[in-house]
Parts: sequence; C-alpha cells; structure tokens
Amino acid sequence: MRILAIESSCDETAVAVLTGEGEMLTLESSLVRSQIDIHAVYGGVVPEVAAREHLEMLFPMIHRSVGHDGAGIDAIAVTSGPGLAPALRVGVEAAKALAVFWNKPLVPVCHLEGHIYAAWLSKSKVESRKSKVDPEFPALALIVSGGHSELVYMTGHGKFERLGETLDDAAGEAFDKVAKMLGLGYPGGPKVAALSEGGDPKAFAFPRAMLKDGSFNFSFSGLKTSVLYTLRKEEARINDEKFRKDIAASFQEAVVDVLVQKTRLAVEKTGGVKSIILAGGVAANLALRDRLTELGGELSIPIFLPPFEYSLDNAAMIAAAGYFRAKAGDFADPLTLSVDPNMDIV
Amino acid sequence: MRYITHNAEETKAIAKELAAVLQGGEFIALIGDLGAGKTTFTQGLVDALGSKARVKSPTFTVMNEYKIDPPKNGIARVIHVDFYRFSKEAELGALSLEDEMRADTVIVAEWPNVFAREVYEPDIKITLSHKGGDEREIEVETGA
Repeated sequence: MRILAIESSCDETAVAVLTGEGEMLTLESSLVRSQIDIHAVYGGVVPEVAAREHLEMLFPMIHRSVGHDGAGIDAIAVTSGPGLAPALRVGVEAAKALAVFWNKPLVPVCHLEGHIYAAWLSKSKVESRKSKVDPEFPALALIVSGGHSELVYMTGHGKFERLGETLDDAAGEAFDKVAKMLGLGYPGGPKVAALSEGGDPKAFAFPRAMLKDGSFNFSFSGLKTSVLYTLRKEEARINDEKFRKDIAASFQEAVVDVLVQKTRLAVEKTGGVKSIILAGGVAANLALRDRLTELGGELSIPIFLPPFEYSLDNAAMIAAAGYFRAKAGDFADPLTLSVDPNMDIV
Repeated sequence: MRYITHNAEETKAIAKELAAVLQGGEFIALIGDLGAGKTTFTQGLVDALGSKARVKSPTFTVMNEYKIDPPKNGIARVIHVDFYRFSKEAELGALSLEDEMRADTVIVAEWPNVFAREVYEPDIKITLSHKGGDEREIEVETGA
C-alpha cells in the first residue's frame, strides 16, 4: 500500500510518500520545508504567517512527490490535529480535495500519534538490542515538544492510552521561555542545549515538580519561574558566560531528570513494557537521549530514539501512522473531515 | 480590587470569585510577566465553571478551547488564547478571534499587551505581579 502524507500543523510544511507491506515500511521520499527562518524574525510561530507559507509551498511539494494524477497512490494521510487551526486547515483541505479528485481513501492522523511512529522509521537506530527492528507492544512513548509533554501507553497499532501529561507548560515551551530570558533566539531548545555545554548542571538546584506524587503528569511552569527569579537575583552576572552556561545546564538537567524519572515510574507501574519510544522535537536534545539510553540499558528495555530528521515535524511519520490506520480501514469522509486543533491521542 | 495570594491555590480562589459573576460574552485580559500565574488563574476560572478540561499554557498551541458542559450561567465554553508569540496586529488575521466572540463564550487572553495598541478592549483586566517567592499581587479591574 502506497501512502501520500501531508503535514502542516505548525511551522513545517511536509509531504512524504511511503510504501507499506505487512509490517515492512519503505520511505520513498520525505520533503520538509521549514519556516523557522521566517519565524525567527517574529520570535515564534505566528499562525497567519504559517498558514500563508503552507499555502505557497504545499502544492509544488506534492507535485514533486507524486505528479499530477496521483497514479500509484493508494491512500492519502493528513495531520488533522492537534495544532494551529489555520495551519492545519491548509493541509487538510488540500488532502480532502485530492482524495475526492483522485478518488482515494483519506486517513486523518493525530500529530502526536505521528511523532510516535517516527520510531518505525528508525530501524537502524535501535540502541540496546540490535536484533529488534520495530518497537514491540506494549510500548511506552514519551512525547516531548513545544506544545506537548505526554506519556502514552501503546498496546497495539492505533491503540493508545494517555498515562500523563504536562499540567501547565510543555517541556519545549520551558526551553523556549528560558531561551528568551537568556536573550537567546528561536528556536530556544537547541540554543539552550548549546549554551549548556561546559556548564555545571548542579550549579543551581532548580525544582523538579511532581516527582513524588506518584502520577505520570509533569509541571514545568514552576521551573521556568525559578529560573526567572535566579536571573533577577543575579542580574549583575547576566553577561557572565560561566553563569549563563551554569543556568542553562542546571535548567536542562532539571527537565531531563523529571522526564527520565517519570518514564521510569511509568515502566515500573505498568509492567511488561517491551519498548520505550522517545518522540517529538525535544527528542533532539542530546542530554535527554543519553539519559534515556542509560535508563533503557539499566531496565534492559530497547529504547527507540528517532533520527534527528524525524524528531522534528515531518510527513514521513504521518505516512507511517497513516499506513497502519489505512491497513485497519480507518478512513474519513473527504467531504466532511474537519481539523481538530485540540485533538487528543486515542 | 487588589488581592495578595501566597500560592497557586489562593490564586485559583480569586479566579473562582470572578467566575461566579461571569455571564458569558466577556473578554478577560491577563497581564503579567512569565510565571506570574496567568495559566494558573485560567485553571481556577475554568475549573470553577465546572469544566473538567485540562487547562494548559497555550503559548505554542496559541488557542485552546474548553467546553463547559452543562453550561454554567449561560457559558458553554472558554477560549484560552495566548499572544506571546505575536508582535504585529496584522498577524491576528488568520486567528479570526472575532468569530469566537459569542454570548456563550468567555475569552481569556494571555499577553494581550504585546501589540502597539490595545487591539481588544477587555471587559475585565487582571494584572498579576511577582511579589517574591510564591506571593503574587492580583489586581482585578472590571468595567474597564
């Protein structure tokens, strides 16, 4: 089955073509056009700008991927939520129109589910047990991005249970806001991570919220405020490079500590987890990748880390998720599908 | 009206008082620095309206919608919007926030003051300020 996938939920316009046969996925093409340069000027994602850019880029990218008549495509997958409504709408309306015009089934895909399926694109990246190529169920997924921080338990393809999530700010948002406090640009995550190199992660004892409450939820708002107070108190040192590095390293350590410890707790409490999947934009963070890999080694559970190009938003992951949905006959009516900016993973 | 709160729960209690007098159709502006408690205040407000919705920071998602079911005092939903990432009024076009302003809707806006002028005239203005530690000063101005 050959899938054309479209992703436009935030600031990346992406189109991919993937062929699936049984459990075997072959990615044919994956195009991503990032708007980060544009958004850097604004210091973030602005829906108006995002939607306009998606409109300009999408059809030329589809044309490069599949040509005019959609020949050889068996289904069209599209991200229908969660995300920015005006941005989502561009991809969804294009997918609907193509599905009607080419007479192809349409598969709506949850963006968060897509992130998890990046693990199916990373066959060579299994770190701790080389013979296993795809994640086995039950799997535990830690999704961390600018808009989301969730722990999801997965018992099979398309079968998800959310164990916990952030109660205020997402992990990526905390990185972004700390970057802003330190006068670093957008995107904040990589800039804070780069600054943290050579810094002392124990220099400042920033709070690790909700570690002892037994839940799988996160809270990063207090951590953000704590960094702000420290910066205000030590205002005279704001340009001192050592101080800045220590702040960045201590902040990052606090975020990673919480994410890793909650993942450990989820493995212990659910029992029988056979794979741990890291997903979302913050999966690009090296400190988090290292610490989760350590955890996997300790628990003897394979850790699936997405390759960098599939940890950020892309359409290859939507194609992978869409393939398994299509295989299960999970189609939507192309005349009535609408975007759901608040979509939950279920 | 000015209040001093000493923790997140007290901040939510102020929001609960406000929720009791809302009738629907209000635009609430939340002004305050990073970490001042804007999202915490919104959590208290939505909770007091009887919604089980999970209120989170809309900084990245820009606009969250929380259903109030059954409606309370004619309020069927809260739109939680965050202009943190915006800077120019022109960028508001695609958001179509005007379309969301209905009699059964309360709009809660974080960072409404990032624009050069006051784009939306609030019915209620909440100003939250850090007073050190967990202490916050909350100023509630109605009929603004």
